[in-house]
Amino acid sequence: MNIPQPSPLELRLSAYIDGRTSDDDRHDVEELLVNDPQARSLHDALKRGADLGRRAFDDMLKEPVPLDLVRTIKNAPLPRRAVRLPQGPRPMLSFKPPGLQAITACALFFVLGGGIGYMIGGNPAVPQFSMISMPGASSRDWLDDIIAHYRLYARQTNHLAEIPAERPADILEWLTTNTGVGFRIPDLSDSGLTFQGARLFAAGGGPVGQLLYRRADGDGDGDVIAISFTKIRPDGNRSIEEIRNDTGLVSWVTPLATYMIIGPSSAADLDDIAAKAAGLI
Amino acid sequence: MTQPSPSTDIRRDLVALLPRLRRFALTLTGSAAEADDLVREAAGRAIQKSHHWKGEGRLESWLFSMIRSTFVDEAKKRRRAEGNAAGDAATSGSSGPSKKDTLACLPDGLASVFLLADVEGFAYAEAAAILGIQPDLFAARLCTARLSLAAAAAETSERRA
Repeated sequence: MNIPQPSPLELRLSAYIDGRTSDDDRHDVEELLVNDPQARSLHDALKRGADLGRRAFDDMLKEPVPLDLVRTIKNAPLPRRAVRLPQGPRPMLSFKPPGLQAITACALFFVLGGGIGYMIGGNPAVPQFSMISMPGASSRDWLDDIIAHYRLYARQTNHLAEIPAERPADILEWLTTNTGVGFRIPDLSDSGLTFQGARLFAAGGGPVGQLLYRRADGDGDGDVIAISFTKIRPDGNRSIEEIRNDTGLVSWVTPLATYMIIGPSSAADLDDIAAKAAGLI
Repeated sequence: MTQPSPSTDIRRDLVALLPRLRRFALTLTGSAAEADDLVREAAGRAIQKSHHWKGEGRLESWLFSMIRSTFVDEAKKRRRAEGNAAGDAATSGSSGPSKKDTLACLPDGLASVFLLADVEGFAYAEAAAILGIQPDLFAARLCTARLSLAAAAAETSERRA
């Protein structure tokens, strides 16, 4: 459909209605409106058209929104966001041996490797290789302990925390003394989380401090989110983000401790909370 | 008009703005069913790209732009699928059936111009950017829309008389 072009006068009047004219032009238009009945009539028509259209569009808001559309949007999965968490220190190694040293080292390793291989081949009664993988298994064990504690206490209504939120000084002293990790109690009210208290437990043979929060609004109303910290280091000193037993865990490592955010796997904002807590704790 | 504050979960803002998003989509598609499909598609894109929204300016502006670009993309897809001739017919044929009587008098493309300026209260430049046209062209279309609506109102009152 061809759109009819308005005349210059109509354009000026339309712009005048929106206050989009220069001072000079505004004076001209105002004079025109006083002296020219056609301009006055056009101005009135433009205003009348705007009022009519506005009313028609306002009426459209009264129509009900389809429920399936609301549901589709409410249940749409949120994208996973890459959150930069603090990383553990990475040693900077600069290893550039000169040529002669490199050749000597290669020869030495060859002789050593050959010797060890000969000894292992000649003595089949060596210990099982499964022993070598024990550190990895123990790392999983202590994370499993932490998840198990979360799952046990997250369902408690009356006994969620060992020390209630009303005694922050007691919490700081109790957990710092027993875990050896200095910390602050982060205020996560921006994320809709209310601090409930703290608890101390053991995981993988080491003490772990846990701060407990309850979600006060949104879809996950009532969910418990926990921040745990310990001196135990995960394998490779690296951050972990995973789901086990319907429980989500996001961890980050600092030179002094390992921190974890634990919550229900349905909580899409665990990494977001982790990023906030990392800056506050 | 209330301005929703940007929250961490864009889905809540989308639901709160849904009636206005549907209304804008209807100015583009002309039919309620197509408008709902368009909003569904655009809302999905907005959720996936929510990290691009930095909380600056009005969220509606970003969402309206998303709806407009989704509409253009869908129209292109439809044209490609149906062939040029059939596609043109489909695009022009989509206007009107569910638009309110008062607004049905507006030539294609004018209802969204009018909505953004006179109802949603966007400045010419921002509204023109949402629709992907020049501000001068936007001003001309807004003027035409107002005149068309005034003419329709006059016609209606004459008929009643």
